[in-house]
Amino acid sequence: MPVTDNSAGKTGAAPEGARARDRLALLTADNAAVPLPAGVQAITAILLAVLLIALPWLGLGYRFLSIAITTLYTAIGLYGLGLQFGQAGIMSVGHAALMGVGAYASAILSVQLGLGLWASLPFAMALSAIVGGVIGLPTLRVGGQHYIIITFCFCALFVIVLTNGGTFTGSATGLDVGSVTPLPGINFDKLSNNYYLVLAALFLAVVATYLIGNSRYGRTLRAIRENEQLARSVGINVDLHKLGVLMVSGLFAGLAGVLQLYYLRHISPTLFGAFPSLYLALMVMLGGARYLYGPLIGAVVVNFLPEVLNLDPVDSRIAYGVCLLLVILLLPGGVGAGIKNIYCAITGGFETQKQRGSNGRA
Amino acid sequence: MAALEVRGLRKQFGGVVALNGIDLDIDTDRVVGIVGPNGSGKTTLFNVVTGVHPATGGAVFWHGQDITNIGAHRIARKRLVRTFQQAMSFPGLTVDENVRIAWEQGRKGDGRWASPGMILEFVGLAPLSKAIAGSLPFGSLRRLGLAVALGVSPELLLLDEPGAGLNDSEAQAFAAVIAQLPPQGIGVCLIDHDMDMMADLCDRLIVLDFGTKIAEGPPGEVLADPKVREVYLGPDKKAAAS
Ligand SMILES: Nc1ncnc2c1ncn2[C@@H]1O[C@H](COP(=O)(O)OP(=O)(O)OP(=O)(O)O)[C@@H](O)[C@H]1O
Ligand SMILES: [Mg+2]
Repeated sequence: MPVTDNSAGKTGAAPEGARARDRLALLTADNAAVPLPAGVQAITAILLAVLLIALPWLGLGYRFLSIAITTLYTAIGLYGLGLQFGQAGIMSVGHAALMGVGAYASAILSVQLGLGLWASLPFAMALSAIVGGVIGLPTLRVGGQHYIIITFCFCALFVIVLTNGGTFTGSATGLDVGSVTPLPGINFDKLSNNYYLVLAALFLAVVATYLIGNSRYGRTLRAIRENEQLARSVGINVDLHKLGVLMVSGLFAGLAGVLQLYYLRHISPTLFGAFPSLYLALMVMLGGARYLYGPLIGAVVVNFLPEVLNLDPVDSRIAYGVCLLLVILLLPGGVGAGIKNIYCAITGGFETQKQRGSNGRA
Repeated sequence: MAALEVRGLRKQFGGVVALNGIDLDIDTDRVVGIVGPNGSGKTTLFNVVTGVHPATGGAVFWHGQDITNIGAHRIARKRLVRTFQQAMSFPGLTVDENVRIAWEQGRKGDGRWASPGMILEFVGLAPLSKAIAGSLPFGSLRRLGLAVALGVSPELLLLDEPGAGLNDSEAQAFAAVIAQLPPQGIGVCLIDHDMDMMADLCDRLIVLDFGTKIAEGPPGEVLADPKVREVYLGPDKKAAAS
């Protein structure tokens, strides 16, 4: 019985078959808790940043860039979901509605008061956070499974309210907004500039996620996820932190919703209903909620899969279902876990990281 | 005045009376043992004292302050800390992170440990600090449970069957670690079924039966008490309980 879950590299004397089996176990394991060396983390971050910044210059066309923008603002919402699910272990299947709260708050502020993106953003984020916390209140009394149902009901209710909200919410047709107020020299009507706006927000979301993951706060959330009772008995105010992380997740959702609104310039209730919510849950599980780049990977896979495989909407739903099954069966930690494990298998296991003992996550 | 005072503590689960008016005084300068047959209410006593379950009646005072039903995390922050019979760790996290979590919560008091590593050193887990808690062998998991509790900088540590599931040598090693705590200002109150170990380790023994305290005193006296012998062995038997 190995003392650690990453002993494959050490079993030099073991027969080849056992080693192969160890390797396979290593590839499919969820190693989110084991940090990668700081250097590897830094190089990954730089390469990824360069790729994302260079994307509009690669001549991939208008359609590609549009999907990329959709992917990135979705990923921002997913970073919030990744925090509440990946770190604190609280899954939601109504997360699109929380993005919708931000989007509609911003749209209504624009229609009623003429506020643009920048002015409405703080209000939209705050409202999403508050709503996120309020939906979370019942979870303090009931378990996690009940919370999932509550989020689903909230999602359904939200769509009903929007559809019956008259001119205030635009009913089933929805609401329109103008373009993003230009910053000096930057006109966001240009698609690549809109892309950079969303990319900048994503950058903030990733940095925030990284900082939270490596902080005392992040550890507190993981403690709650791993053993709520023990968390209490070491002095953690579990209820407060559960509400807190749902509110932080709401902030991300609000930001994502506003960016979605100002990219589409038109929103309607169906964007924030049950299907988009389930897709968000799918994406975060597919990518790996506990991994720094998991939410981004999930968003990329789900948004680009129909495009790459040329699938119509019905086929792509089937494809998503198959993907989800494959991930649950083979990679419980998501694609993020798979990539990290492959890297570790290539570089000879986790030994080197142990010696360096850095604190980050992949 | 003892640090922990339990007065007429009652706990009922539906029709089951798990604690039927318990009075206890526990100080922080020694090892106190709690023994009793299965289902006698030992774990429930810890659960109610540390706020895991609300009390049905009675009161718990910590340094004279009423802490009955104030919530588990508040009680832990007052440095009255307990371990669990099962589920001792945060299984998906590394050993180091397990202890760090507790240590970061407890640091606000006058933290006696400069780093989580020192706690791991103390319980003998330092070489395994990067291992995932859930993959530890059982003996190491017990040590981790203790390390996590120590991380909170307890004044009084309530240990629920720390020796259960350990082999003899592991249990002895564990008892040696526990014996080092009171001299460092960490009082210990522990539950265990191993009477030999309890007699060695404890300055005082408390015996529970059906949610009532039936005996209390130095181990030698308590174990010779006919009432206690009856509970453990049935009437008229002489062999030592274990
Ligand atoms: N959460 C609970 N719900 C209902 N009944 C409970 C609960 N916890 C304990 N009990 C009951 O209370 C009584 C005392 O149980 P407790 O776990 O305190 O015993 P114990 O002395 O710790 O036993 P053991 O030596 O087996 O650990 C038992 O009858 C048990 O069934
Ligand atoms: Mg018990």
